[in-house]
Amino acid sequence: MASLMHYASLHSENPAYSFSEASTIPHSEASAGPRQHAFYPYTDNGGSTLGITGETFAILAGDTRSTSGYNINTRYEPKVFRIGDDDSSPIVLSVVGFAADGKALKERLDTIVKMYKYQHGKPMSVKACAQRLSTILYQKRFFPYYVHAILGGLDEEGKGALYSYDPVGSYEREQCRAAGAAASLIMPFLDNQVNFKNQYVPGSGEGLSLKEKPREPLPLDAVVGIVKDAFTSATERHIEVGDGLQMILITKDGIKEMFTPLKRD
Amino acid sequence: MDTLVAQYTQPPFSHEGYTQDEQEDYAESIPPLSLKFALPPVDRPAQFLRAMTDDHSNPDCPIKIAHGTTTLAFRFKGGIIVATDSRATAGNWIASQTVKKVIEINPMLLGTMAGGAADCQYWLAYLGIQCRLHELRHKRRISVAAASKILANLVYSYKGMGLSMGTMITGVTPQEGPALYYIDSDGTRLAGNLFCVGSGQTFAYGVLDALYKYDLEDDEALELGKRSILAAQHRDAYSGGYINLYHVKEDGWVKHGFMDSNPIFWETKLEKGEFSNVTSHL
Amino acid sequence: MEVLLGITGKDFVIVAASKAAMRGASILKSNDDKTRPLNKHNLLAFSGEAGDTIQFTEYIQANIALYSMRNETDLGPSAVASFIRSELAKSLRSRKPYNVNLLLGGVDPISREPSLYWLDYLASSAKLPYAAHGYAQYYCLSILDKHHHPDISFDQGMRILRMCTDELQRRLPIDFKGMTVKVVKKDGIQEVEYDTSKQVLSA
Repeated sequence: MASLMHYASLHSENPAYSFSEASTIPHSEASAGPRQHAFYPYTDNGGSTLGITGETFAILAGDTRSTSGYNINTRYEPKVFRIGDDDSSPIVLSVVGFAADGKALKERLDTIVKMYKYQHGKPMSVKACAQRLSTILYQKRFFPYYVHAILGGLDEEGKGALYSYDPVGSYEREQCRAAGAAASLIMPFLDNQVNFKNQYVPGSGEGLSLKEKPREPLPLDAVVGIVKDAFTSATERHIEVGDGLQMILITKDGIKEMFTPLKRD
Repeated sequence: MDTLVAQYTQPPFSHEGYTQDEQEDYAESIPPLSLKFALPPVDRPAQFLRAMTDDHSNPDCPIKIAHGTTTLAFRFKGGIIVATDSRATAGNWIASQTVKKVIEINPMLLGTMAGGAADCQYWLAYLGIQCRLHELRHKRRISVAAASKILANLVYSYKGMGLSMGTMITGVTPQEGPALYYIDSDGTRLAGNLFCVGSGQTFAYGVLDALYKYDLEDDEALELGKRSILAAQHRDAYSGGYINLYHVKEDGWVKHGFMDSNPIFWETKLEKGEFSNVTSHL
Repeated sequence: MEVLLGITGKDFVIVAASKAAMRGASILKSNDDKTRPLNKHNLLAFSGEAGDTIQFTEYIQANIALYSMRNETDLGPSAVASFIRSELAKSLRSRKPYNVNLLLGGVDPISREPSLYWLDYLASSAKLPYAAHGYAQYYCLSILDKHHHPDISFDQGMRILRMCTDELQRRLPIDFKGMTVKVVKKDGIQEVEYDTSKQVLSA
């Protein structure tokens, strides 16, 4: 970034010699003032993430493929990270989009959560961390992080907590959220399977009198099943998803990381 | 090439590690809310931002920011009704159906959210802080006029930078009575009886204007607010989800529910015979 | 900023069109009639590009009249709508398509059932209980969604129309100089006196 900043003020801060062809540019064009190249500091590294909460747990998952265009950079680049390294208040962040921005964001939040603990002598709550992440994203409102972040943990009552963010920091607590390349494939599935959207009690009537299937917190094994199904299916239909599935489970007993292979083609 | 050379003419390692600014940032226990924003290292930051995030002028933009809304608020003899939909869209993608577009600034003040979701959330939180500081400094509650002006001046100072918000600030204070202000990111600030903001505003205005009068009873006013949002959710594709309904009174605001609009629509159609253009046969 | 509105009821169709003829920054005429009767029971209201509107509508009008003369019978609303749609579809695929949006209000001479067709320059055609073109859609459809019922009387229809035009007068930034209002009933097309001289202000 620093190098790009110098571009506008070529004459003052640079060495007297130059390899560029600036001197051969016709005078009329050169006098039009300093010209700037198109600045495009983003790329999309693909992949998808998802988070689901239950009564006593939260789970965050992401595939481990990293792509640029049609190329696969690596088959193992995790998108889900632990934040703060504190076992009494486990916080997990998943980021998808531009991996470098994602990493910068994760580093930033991690440092802040650790500093908070050193300064206050207690770990940061997930609620506070969620608000702080929002302000971090908003600090770059005019030069955004190209990421969709999901933050997971356990709230003050020990219930699973999940927060999802847009690139500039608007956030909301939810039961489940999919982000990234295959969000449009996974999210409708989650609406149906986790929040029972468009599911009704059989035989409860017709039209208006149909009763919606009541929402109930899902048990852990059911949620793990849903996560795996979501990713195996997304792998089948999206080129940027595959290779491996990284899942981080947060319960009162701490954090457990799981890895399942996905198709590698 | 020049930049490469420039890099090597700098003292080694000077660019490694955290900058002074960043170190202070990390060490600070209270997050610096507002007024310290990263800018892209280009001539025209606003143009860069538009190229990256403005879905309207550049449909292929890489960063999709949540948009699209219907919100309304109106004054009547019993206070102020505030109602919104709950849909957030990024392009054609429905990013969320459960957004809280009524922002509880404090127990007395409400703000509404249209335009950039993050802009509204962040700056109304900032406004909440400023209102609290006013209370601590002056030992009395801030007026709605003053609160709305803080926000209007703030967004005006960022004019041209790409903020996008259309918001209404409401509250009831002893000196003003029920007060309603409309503020947008152009810097407009208007006091009024009735505003609808967002892509579905015209549909909400249609229903609301036809039946609005200042002497509405509380239950009539709540029903009218709800029905106006329903109208907009029916006709505007960028609005939908739930109906979020609030009543602001002298002793603070009261929430009247976050209601799924689908059953309300069918109830309105089948029991009152409205929406006669919706038919079950082809 | 042209306004077209149509409302059906138990035994009638109300068709209303704004009276202003606008070109650039000027209003050239403030008692323009943007409707054409096609036969005894069919009325066409139009908006769109200057020139195209009149040319197309009068072409349709002449052809419907020709049909009546040749066959000694009038076409019903659905047949007229189909004919207009096919002409628009032909035009759309020609070198210079007509840019015309239409509302067709009619009463079937035999069944006496009122009907309203919404047509646009892309040759979409839809039979609707109420319809609007242009900005009027944004303000009036929500009002009609709420207040319209299939079996309303003529007076109720006029009351709903008043709600719509009041809203347009209140919220549209340009004065559209009032409305031409016509009603199609079983015994033909009548013009209805419609006063919009009272100023309507927003709350």
